[in-house]
Amino acid sequence: MSSAAKKGRLNFDPRTKLILLVIANIVAFTQQSIWVEIAWVVSLLILIAVCGCGKSACKLAVAFSICLLLQYYIVPVMPQVLATTFLILATYARKIFPCLIIGTLLVQKTSVREMTAALRKWHVPQGLIIPLSVTIRYFPAIKEEIGYIRDAMKFRDIHGIQKLECLVVPIMMSATATAEELSAAAVTRGIENPNKKTSIVTMRFGVHDVLCLAFGIIFCVVAFIIV
Amino acid sequence: MKNSTTNTMRMKGKDLITVGIFSAIYFVINFAFMLLGTIPIMWILMPGLIALFTGIPYMLLAAKVQKPGAIFLMGLITGLIYFITGQFTTVILITFVIGCGLAELVRFLTKYKSFMGNTLSFACFSIGMIGSPLPIWLFKESFIAQISEQGMSADYVASIEALSSTGMLVLMIAAPIVLAFVGAFIAKVLFKKHFVKAGIV
Repeated sequence: MSSAAKKGRLNFDPRTKLILLVIANIVAFTQQSIWVEIAWVVSLLILIAVCGCGKSACKLAVAFSICLLLQYYIVPVMPQVLATTFLILATYARKIFPCLIIGTLLVQKTSVREMTAALRKWHVPQGLIIPLSVTIRYFPAIKEEIGYIRDAMKFRDIHGIQKLECLVVPIMMSATATAEELSAAAVTRGIENPNKKTSIVTMRFGVHDVLCLAFGIIFCVVAFIIV
Repeated sequence: MKNSTTNTMRMKGKDLITVGIFSAIYFVINFAFMLLGTIPIMWILMPGLIALFTGIPYMLLAAKVQKPGAIFLMGLITGLIYFITGQFTTVILITFVIGCGLAELVRFLTKYKSFMGNTLSFACFSIGMIGSPLPIWLFKESFIAQISEQGMSADYVASIEALSSTGMLVLMIAAPIVLAFVGAFIAKVLFKKHFVKAGIV
């Protein structure tokens, strides 16, 4: 990875990121050693910092340190009731950190278009690629929608159980409307064309991709042998 | 939705997009309860609570896309996104596949149209989520050893041990079935009140 880092800002192939995610999952859920975990998180943080996610890398590093501090220094001196809850949160949160880091890289530096192209290269069927990319793209829309609905509810002074109904119904309505509009747009642009789809994204495994994956696999294997 | 019966039963672009959007809504609700699952008792009630609150998106999707595969695809997408965040274990994968498969089978047998059929398939689908807390019973001993090794406190382990009785197992499996019916019923009431008027269902 060090030789890859010299090139400055890197852009990895989406497939590299996806494979790295699998490796991150394996390491996170097979390793019990805290040192392996820290080493893994630090290397992944360096990786995403090099890729241009410096800000997020800092934030994640701070969050990870807080989790560690909580678990090893603060929880032991906390009252019992609080300690249990915090410990569970800190432990769970720490476990998903490697996946979270790669997830951040995927979300920030990979467009859905690139992702689609990568999945197509792997011959994932269209029937899965289309709904999957719609799902990923719809999450921010849901968040936005909930914000608007909350504002509207504040205006009208809606309370209690009614709040739930007033949240769910508009979301469902707009989801249905979006589905209609999006399909109309997509069909017009030829989503149902059975021919092989072309893409503006060119995709090739570079040296840095190979190096990065090699590092991940070697780390995985070494961690297994040592611990 | 009338043209879906005259056309072939294969899912087309529009159906796929609809599945994608409702999967997003289903996932958001599912994820919210997954986060609550860090509290031990909530973890065991989680499949039931998810069933109660996801009734509306499920029933709406079942009404919108009356074709084979829609529910299976929703389950697959949920599973894939959970895999990315590292939340999916092998056990939940197996129960999820069984749940989705049964749901599709029920939908096929009831011809995709009947409300009762969709409700039954929703109950099957909801059972898929029991795979998340199921390891508590399946690998009781090794599981407790594993989580205490992972740094979970003795309190947490003790509260999990107390929860892992057979009675709790029955409750955990029965809850999603019963609450799926309640959830579907709520969906029906809301459909009548809002969606039919708007011409959505």
